[in-house]
Amino acid sequence: MLATLTLIRREFSAYFFSPIGYAVLFLFLIVMGCLFYLSVDELTAEDPYGISTSMEILVNNIAFWLIFAIIPPLLTMRLFAEERATGTIEMLLTAPLHDWQVVISKYLACYAFFLVMWLPTLLYLPVLLDWQVGTLKVGIDPGPVWTTYIGVALAGAMFLSIGMCVSSFVKSQMVAALISLVLGLVFLIFAFAEPLVASSGIGRQGVFFVSVPLHFARNFSRGLIDSRQLILYCSVTLFCIFLTIRSLESRRWR
Amino acid sequence: MIHVSHLTKYYGDYAAVRDVSFDVAAGQVVGFLGHNGAGKSTTMRILTGYLAPTSGSATIAGLDVFNDSVEVRRKVGYMPESCPLYTDMRVEEYLNFRAGIKGIHGGFRPMRVDFVLRRCWLTDVRRQIIGTLSKGYRQRVGLADSLLANPPVLILDEPTAGLDPTQIRSTRDLIRELGQEHTILLSTHILSEVEMTADSVIIIHQGQVALQSSIKDLQAQAGSQGKLLAVFDGHVDGQGVRDLETFGPTEAKAELDRTEIRIRTNDIAGATRKVLDEARTRGWTVREVRPERPTLEDLFVQITARA
Repeated sequence: MLATLTLIRREFSAYFFSPIGYAVLFLFLIVMGCLFYLSVDELTAEDPYGISTSMEILVNNIAFWLIFAIIPPLLTMRLFAEERATGTIEMLLTAPLHDWQVVISKYLACYAFFLVMWLPTLLYLPVLLDWQVGTLKVGIDPGPVWTTYIGVALAGAMFLSIGMCVSSFVKSQMVAALISLVLGLVFLIFAFAEPLVASSGIGRQGVFFVSVPLHFARNFSRGLIDSRQLILYCSVTLFCIFLTIRSLESRRWR
Repeated sequence: MIHVSHLTKYYGDYAAVRDVSFDVAAGQVVGFLGHNGAGKSTTMRILTGYLAPTSGSATIAGLDVFNDSVEVRRKVGYMPESCPLYTDMRVEEYLNFRAGIKGIHGGFRPMRVDFVLRRCWLTDVRRQIIGTLSKGYRQRVGLADSLLANPPVLILDEPTAGLDPTQIRSTRDLIRELGQEHTILLSTHILSEVEMTADSVIIIHQGQVALQSSIKDLQAQAGSQGKLLAVFDGHVDGQGVRDLETFGPTEAKAELDRTEIRIRTNDIAGATRKVLDEARTRGWTVREVRPERPTLEDLFVQITARA
């Protein structure tokens, strides 16, 4: 257990040893800041303009999904590919650790960084929720905010697990990032091409099942949690983690 | 301590290690010798649980390396070839991290880290970032790491590769010292190193064990192939050379200004006396008389050529 904690700590701090962690934080906060500005603008607009729920602009904007597609591959590309390229994986895998411990530690460290990245956005909440300083009451329904954060946490877990899995198969960080970007796009791109690929019936259903932006637009940002999406995110995450463990073990029988 | 039996490892169709069996007794320092690509690293990787054998088995301290992999790794300090490290960490930080994942916690950890830092002469660079260290220092960090958990077995893959002569000497001394407390399997392709540090040697050639013997036996074998070299000024007469032949097969080689005579014999002292007597009676001017023993290097070449 303590060994796992040590490994998590090392992996987490590794993000701050390289510029990549800072670059990701910078990119993320710039985009979120712009979206926050837009949100405030819309929330205070006169009828019939404006939006009805506080997080809508934040997660329903194409700029948001662009960075949501790019950031997980940037965070996960180094996890195994770098160790493979520099050979340090041999040091790691000959330490008295089980393969699953290595995988879980790396995943948790990466996920922790993802959550830390979202922390500063909590500062927007008092404004977005119209928090009254005197009475500590919120002026706008907070439900959609919590569901949006839950959605982000779970969807993020899915994209990161995909990235980690890809990283465990390749040697080059660049290749890892590109492949996980492409795989991640499978869950994003159809949302923006929905009218083109499926206009009705079963096709439209299918597109809705896998399109994360649609889940946010129709459910999370409106304060709804739909079990279908939770099952999708959790099962893909678990499957990818499982695949990563297998991929590490494969060195033994290849 | 280490028991390997009929180990075979295929990479695809290529057999890197074929039917390798050997034993290393506790407390021994064993040199693992072979050309590049002979299968040394593969064998070591199997022993440390990084790779699995295609067939065969190996045990360390009675534990199967495949089934009890994690337990075996607790008993082994491994330093891989070319010693990969996290170059973005500081030396002390790295060793602390390694101690952590090896299960060394609490007050014991700083003690161990301090100990290995001193043991491997790393105290001056403890705050330095590993990426800025020279190759020699990095090797030492790798060695320090392998010592952290004070494991009974050390497996060192080419610990002196790429070091400068003084570093090689100090590393060698360190290994010899460590050999008093640990069982060590070290690979190298530098023979003199094995001769100076190890108790016995395993020569591996094309994935197979070509020879396993103690250094003493090997040196005795080398001694039995001894020759006496005598060099004289100018040219010598043939009768004298024929007289020397009573001692063993003799060959004489005439150069421009000197003659070299080589006598193959087990009795080097006797042959020397005979040569000097012969020189005195015949009035040869002796330039040099010395025994010529084949080095381990010669034996190694013989063995690998035969295999």
